[in-house]
Amino acid sequence: MAGVRPRPGAVRVREGEGATTIDPTDLPGGVDDVPVVIGAVSRTDGGAARVEVVAGGWRFELEVEPARRAALRERATRAASAVGSGGALEVHAMIPGRVVAVAVAVGDAVTRGAQLLVVEAMKMQNDVPSPADAVVERVSVSPGDTVELGDLLVVLAAARASAANPR
Amino acid sequence: MRKDEALRPPFRRVLVANRGEIAVRIIRACRDLGMEAVAVYSDADAGALHVELADEAIRLGPAPASESYLRGEAIIEAARRSRAEAIHPGYGFLSERASFAQAVEDAGLVFVGPRSDVIAGLGDKLAARRLARDVGVPIVPGTLEPAAIARADEAADVVSAAEGVGFPLLVKAAAGGGGRGMRRVERAEDLPAALVAGSAEAASAFGDGRVYVEREIRPARHVEVQLLGDAAGTIIAIGERDCSLQRRHQKLVEESPAPGLTVEERRLHHELAVRIGRAAHLTNAATAEFLIDEDQRPWFLEVNTRLQVEHGVTELTGGFDLVVEQFWIAAGKPLSSAAMAAAGAAANPGRHAIEVRLSAEDPARQFAAAPGRIGRFSLPAGDGVRVDTGVRPGDRVPPDYDPLVAKLLVVAGDREAAIALLRDALDSVEITGIQTTLPFHRFVARDPSFAAGDLSIEWVAGHWDGAADRAAARRAADRAAAPRVAGVSTAFAEPPPVSPWLRAGREAFLDEWPE
Repeated sequence: MAGVRPRPGAVRVREGEGATTIDPTDLPGGVDDVPVVIGAVSRTDGGAARVEVVAGGWRFELEVEPARRAALRERATRAASAVGSGGALEVHAMIPGRVVAVAVAVGDAVTRGAQLLVVEAMKMQNDVPSPADAVVERVSVSPGDTVELGDLLVVLAAARASAANPR
Repeated sequence: MRKDEALRPPFRRVLVANRGEIAVRIIRACRDLGMEAVAVYSDADAGALHVELADEAIRLGPAPASESYLRGEAIIEAARRSRAEAIHPGYGFLSERASFAQAVEDAGLVFVGPRSDVIAGLGDKLAARRLARDVGVPIVPGTLEPAAIARADEAADVVSAAEGVGFPLLVKAAAGGGGRGMRRVERAEDLPAALVAGSAEAASAFGDGRVYVEREIRPARHVEVQLLGDAAGTIIAIGERDCSLQRRHQKLVEESPAPGLTVEERRLHHELAVRIGRAAHLTNAATAEFLIDEDQRPWFLEVNTRLQVEHGVTELTGGFDLVVEQFWIAAGKPLSSAAMAAAGAAANPGRHAIEVRLSAEDPARQFAAAPGRIGRFSLPAGDGVRVDTGVRPGDRVPPDYDPLVAKLLVVAGDREAAIALLRDALDSVEITGIQTTLPFHRFVARDPSFAAGDLSIEWVAGHWDGAADRAAARRAADRAAAPRVAGVSTAFAEPPPVSPWLRAGREAFLDEWPE
């Protein structure tokens, strides 16, 4: 992807980590036999369109923006992260529910995949794992709290930076 | 029956002790019978559809079920206060608690379901197994006396009994349900540890650590027979349902009649179920569950003494209203001629019905709960299509309860036509805001092995790859989303398209593409 300049008119569609670039001039003629429903449409802080699409029953929250602008921004982000030392990492609630257990405390070192806390929704216990090797900087919830989608749960600091700079 | 009596509804006022689609469905039956309906609700459901539809609604408490829908005394008090004569429990919550049914009876109210002593007798799974065995119904081989096993050295009796049962076998909780306390054991040497673990889990889940063992029947289908009994002692079987498509012991798809059975095999299953119902002195509605092995032989599992989620497929094939029937039976009336006719035709009904459960679950993440706020919500209607739901556009699916949002049912002259109807109906379902099980159901409706009736309780694990199915849909989603970036300053203010759904393709894409 890097180094290839997208054609004018091409669009970048992103869902989490998975981004695809669509060029309107070389769309195949065939049509997927999948019913599509467009849901909520809004705008991200960065100015991209955020579009809820339900395709064949699957719900996607996609961010859409001109591919050229996405490429420019990505280059800027890469440059920034190269000089940065791994800043704070926020863990947000992926589902609404109740916090039933908090497995970590401020200062704990956690490995990628380690359980941070457990959110119960509809009688199902959902583990919230650490997205990286890190040190717990802040815990924003306690057992019994009700959380909504996107609520801040835990703030992590990159493990490498903390180890190199012990306090 | 006298003429004035024939016009009088079974009750004047009924309290519906449930929520969601089943509360709505029961309230509709009340309307059909000219009865007033009283709803109950938790704080999470204050604005729910069932509350809106009822003639009166009474708050029970905060969202958690233990503080609202499971508060039996509060529900009986609500019935008294609202001068309801009967309580319909629906399914789940208090529907199979003998102590609740007993309290309703003691309060001088009518419990719309089997008598409390029948619920108690059949709710004890091992008592039900013994009862079935005593009337000559084949039961899944296993032990009949449960025991709590705290340490491996207490397991000797069960281990020696297990030799006669055969491996692999399942350790099950006597008080159990939903797979809790259950362990699969392949070798005799692993049994003591599994008994201790299963017993501990059962003790924490149900407050009763007693476990027993049962041979694992595999491959197996889950087939259940609908029973109805009236106060005069007439007991009938109204067809069977195949509920083999399950995930984590939760049913996903149900149909009636069960595919691939001969008329004689159906008659046999119905007859075995009636035998159990008679022995238990069953009244009102219940369901006898069986496992069917490769040779189409039925093995009795248990009786559910309530209305089932999937009762609608029986109504569609049988051409009668099961909930209306429950009310008449509860009022002491005999089984209706419609129910008797359905029972008479049950082995060869000449119709086929299928139900899919649309739930707020993510079928790419092991059907994990996915509660949230619904955006658009539009389900199909038309000949042969029925929808039972308790939600409206904009409603929140709370994380506190079962994630079922709607049941979509179809009925046609035969199974092939029913599947075709289901395929079309599913393609016009529009739900935004939450992930649902719709992709799984679209897959089922197109799958050749489902069409061939090649079902088993392992079907979902063997056929469904949610992540792959989702990845395949991404292309269509991308193409539908891409035009939304058009005219950056104005496009975002555009309302969603009014057309019910649009196909993602070149035409739509180019139409909205900025020049």
